Amino acid sequence: MTATDGITLRVTDLKKYYGKVHAVDGISFAIPSGSVFTILGPNGAGKTTTLEILEGIRVPDAGEIEVFGVRVKQINREVKKRLGVLLQDGNFEPYLKVKEVVKLFASFFPIALPVEEVLRRVALQEKGSAYIRTLSGGQRQRLAVGVALVNDPDLIFLDEPTTGLDPQARRNMWSVITNLKEQRKTIILTTHYMEEAEVLSDYVCIMDNGMIIAEGTPRELAARLGQETIIEFSGGSIDAEWLDQLSSYGKGVRKDGEIVYVETEDFVQTMEQMLAWSREKGIPLENMVVRQPNLEDVFLSLTGRKLRE
Amino acid sequence: MKGILRVAEAHLRTALREKITLFWFLIFPLFLLAILTLIFGNMGTEGEISFAIAVVNLETDTAGPVDFAGIIEGVFEQAGKPSEEGKEPLFAISSPASGEALEDFLASEKKATRFGDRAAVIVIPEGFNQCLLHRMMEDGPSSSANCSLAIYVNEGSAASGMATSIIDQILAGVERDLLTRMGRFQEQKAIPTETLWVGSSGTEVRYVDFLLPGIVLMGFFVNGLFGVPGSILFARDKRVLRRYWVTPLTVTHYLAGFSVGHLMLCLVQFALLLLLGRFAFGATVTFFQPMSILFLLLAAITFLAFGFFVASVAKTANTGMAIANILNMPMMFLGGLFFPVTGLPLVLKAIVFVNPLTYLAKGLRVSVGTEAGTLSVSIIAVPLVWIAVCVAVASWRLSWDVER
Amino acid sequence: MRSFRALLYAECVIFARDKAAFTFTFLFPIIFVLLFGFLMGGMGGAEGARLGLYMPDGGRGEVLEEVLAGIGSISVTHYSDQLALQDALEEKKIDFGLVWDGERLLFHYNSTRVQENYAFQQLATGIAAQFNLSYQGLFPILTAEKIHVGKKASTGWFSSVVPGIMAFSILSAGLFAVSGHITAMKERKLLDQMIVTPMRPIMLLSAVICVRLVIVYISTLITLLVAVVVLKLGFTVAWLRYTVFVTSSTVGVMGLGSLIALVVRRPSSASHIANVVSMLMMFLAGIYFPVEIMPSYLRALSKALPLTYMADAMRYVTGVTEMTEARFWGITIAMLVLAALLLPLLGRYIVKPDRGQY
Repeated sequence: MTATDGITLRVTDLKKYYGKVHAVDGISFAIPSGSVFTILGPNGAGKTTTLEILEGIRVPDAGEIEVFGVRVKQINREVKKRLGVLLQDGNFEPYLKVKEVVKLFASFFPIALPVEEVLRRVALQEKGSAYIRTLSGGQRQRLAVGVALVNDPDLIFLDEPTTGLDPQARRNMWSVITNLKEQRKTIILTTHYMEEAEVLSDYVCIMDNGMIIAEGTPRELAARLGQETIIEFSGGSIDAEWLDQLSSYGKGVRKDGEIVYVETEDFVQTMEQMLAWSREKGIPLENMVVRQPNLEDVFLSLTGRKLRE
Repeated sequence: MKGILRVAEAHLRTALREKITLFWFLIFPLFLLAILTLIFGNMGTEGEISFAIAVVNLETDTAGPVDFAGIIEGVFEQAGKPSEEGKEPLFAISSPASGEALEDFLASEKKATRFGDRAAVIVIPEGFNQCLLHRMMEDGPSSSANCSLAIYVNEGSAASGMATSIIDQILAGVERDLLTRMGRFQEQKAIPTETLWVGSSGTEVRYVDFLLPGIVLMGFFVNGLFGVPGSILFARDKRVLRRYWVTPLTVTHYLAGFSVGHLMLCLVQFALLLLLGRFAFGATVTFFQPMSILFLLLAAITFLAFGFFVASVAKTANTGMAIANILNMPMMFLGGLFFPVTGLPLVLKAIVFVNPLTYLAKGLRVSVGTEAGTLSVSIIAVPLVWIAVCVAVASWRLSWDVER
Repeated sequence: MRSFRALLYAECVIFARDKAAFTFTFLFPIIFVLLFGFLMGGMGGAEGARLGLYMPDGGRGEVLEEVLAGIGSISVTHYSDQLALQDALEEKKIDFGLVWDGERLLFHYNSTRVQENYAFQQLATGIAAQFNLSYQGLFPILTAEKIHVGKKASTGWFSSVVPGIMAFSILSAGLFAVSGHITAMKERKLLDQMIVTPMRPIMLLSAVICVRLVIVYISTLITLLVAVVVLKLGFTVAWLRYTVFVTSSTVGVMGLGSLIALVVRRPSSASHIANVVSMLMMFLAGIYFPVEIMPSYLRALSKALPLTYMADAMRYVTGVTEMTEARFWGITIAMLVLAALLLPLLGRYIVKPDRGQY
């Protein structure tokens, strides 16, 4: 059964409450087949709960889910046969071997890939006979991805796939995800790493407090900040009064730790004013960077908070 | 110095905050003390034990001068009533249902004994009164068989055995009483029985006084066997220790602090047990004398060293706990903490011989006066040897940082 | 079916490779049996008590000798002076001592043998009573003939302790299979990993139950074997009932474990609660000593514990005691009902998402 309108997953007004807490407060989105859809947001935004509902772990309180063209109240066994899920903080039985784990999970599906193929796709061929407890963090994560792919799923959930991995392992994971993209799999990704979202996604939705506060392609989102340019520099000794002054040169200013960010739509004018100010006050503009706004800036402007709090 | 004390304090705090530690090291010994004292401390005390029995009086001839059957039945009936308000009687005596024939009653009671629902059934046979009358009047051994009651018992039941001994005692008392009343036994010529308690105290040792030193030692032992490797190994594996090693704190200082913290935990254990023993169960045994304090300290240190030893031979925290679990039961039971260790096969005797608990238990008991004996050198020497060996092995083998 | 087979395999392999769990499950009951077997041999009663006797040239020692000879369960050793007797008592070469100087009977006890003296004192009372009669030329007129009903205890009281230990091992293995094994799986998010697949929770449950059943059954057999071979005890096992009972009690206890798992907040606490519960039951279920010697409130508590009934039934199926058919099947079916009611809760536990941060 394939989606007739090219949408693999459509979610309408999904809600999940825990007493007074609105973990998911009426979100809606549609994921086209073969795309990578990223849900971005800080911890506690409701990303994981949303994912858990769509993975079939939790039951929504309200809303509609349409997956593979079929409307369901909650994710059932039939749907699960076509899903692949990578859980956050998941773990495997320490006393099993890699091959045994893959075989075990393969047995849950009516049709599954051969073990060797799965291991090859996640570059764990040599570790087939290794015990889980001997694997490194990155290897464990790759095994988890392998397990998520064992049934050659059409819709794959990756919940924070690179959290806790070192940069090399992260790059490896990105290439695995890119491969999946090339195979036209539909992928839902959650992350709080902005670069990950920018590099991998076709669509991004930003969640906060259980709601979607923005969505679109990464470029569209960044464009919301208009023709903005961001000028950053290290200004540890700058106080509030001077920040105020700086902000009058552009659209706004904020300070995060040592770094000052000045947002402007007229780069040249702001730059001139800042240089003059710097000369006048005798405050050097060290480590200056001039750049386009990114998703983090978008998030910040929408919520006043950082992604990675 | 400050660092050492802070480490000690941290160790103590962590231990007391962790619910598991709190339970096994503090609550469990208290619980064990309470339960064992409640169960065993009252053996023989009236009002605390109770057996279910039945008395079936088949004698029909009550016309004679003395109704012996009735007297005996009465004695047991009396035993079936509580001696004090609110206390349980020694026997819970079952009676036939109204209108039930005695034979049927006897049959059902015998069946109940078979199935363990009754400890014993006492049957006074027909013709008992006549028989006993004749026997009373005779001189010398009787030509005919003794007048005997039948007591149905279940050999496989310990309760049955205990009830039977008590019944025998009661019957012996009745016998003497009857003979006295008949003028045959002369009470004034009775031989008095006296009791002498051999052992340093010269009086009977109460169960709680016997048990308390053992439980204190058990507490120290468990603390050392589980708590020490547990803390060290988990801290090492979780890289907590590594954070210390990048500061000026040396391993020696850490160890010193750790040891002080451990001893403080033992002190808390000891205090709680003493309080419970004294105020809830009336323990009179006193630990506040030089030799006893010495043994308590020696015990705490021995098990601390032993804990280091276990930590040094285990690669991971889980292995350490597994080793501790395997060593726990045999060492505790074969150290004479709860049960006397006699009549063992050679292998087990060897364990008893080597076990530091054996010596520490003996030393502690002798020093508080609940056991007779002298404090020979070996009692102190063996634990000291253990300390030396454990410390030696630990300092050689114990790795303070987990390998990558 | 494929998933069931795969889960069975995984469960077996995991248990076998987890050396700690493996050793525990099989070794523990054996250690218990051996330890208690050797240590508590004397606790059942003063069978074969050793009496030390010292009679300075006092009056009518023959009377006493005769009385003592008539008591079968005592062996008598003579001593040449009181001091030697007291030393022997201290060294536990004798269990109690008696000095008869023609005036009084002075019984000696070792004050440290607190738990055993009760039995020796009873013997002493019996000796004194009989001696008093004989001394005045009287003969016992009243005897109590013990007629044994029920099974003949083959090698004494310890035969009834072993089935109790076996019942305890079933209890702890069953409890930990759930509040330990399955709760650990939940904590490690292994369960979550499985429920996002089409795997049916009942498959996992069934696999765990099957594997644990086999493990428990083998463990009890090993314990039985050790008791027979090493301690030379004898049992007449009714194999069909034994199997039925072990099966029903294992699943019943797993049901109890499910109750614990559902009640505790954190999965890791479950195994500790299970530990506490099984320890408590071990003391109060009348396994090592008869419940009759417990105070009434503890005895009442004992009647409420599943282990008490499990131990009873185990004694029955191993041929140590007798039991009515009704009672045996009642216990067995009660355990099955417990399982039927509580194990479905376990199914719910498996799929229930973690309360998490909320």
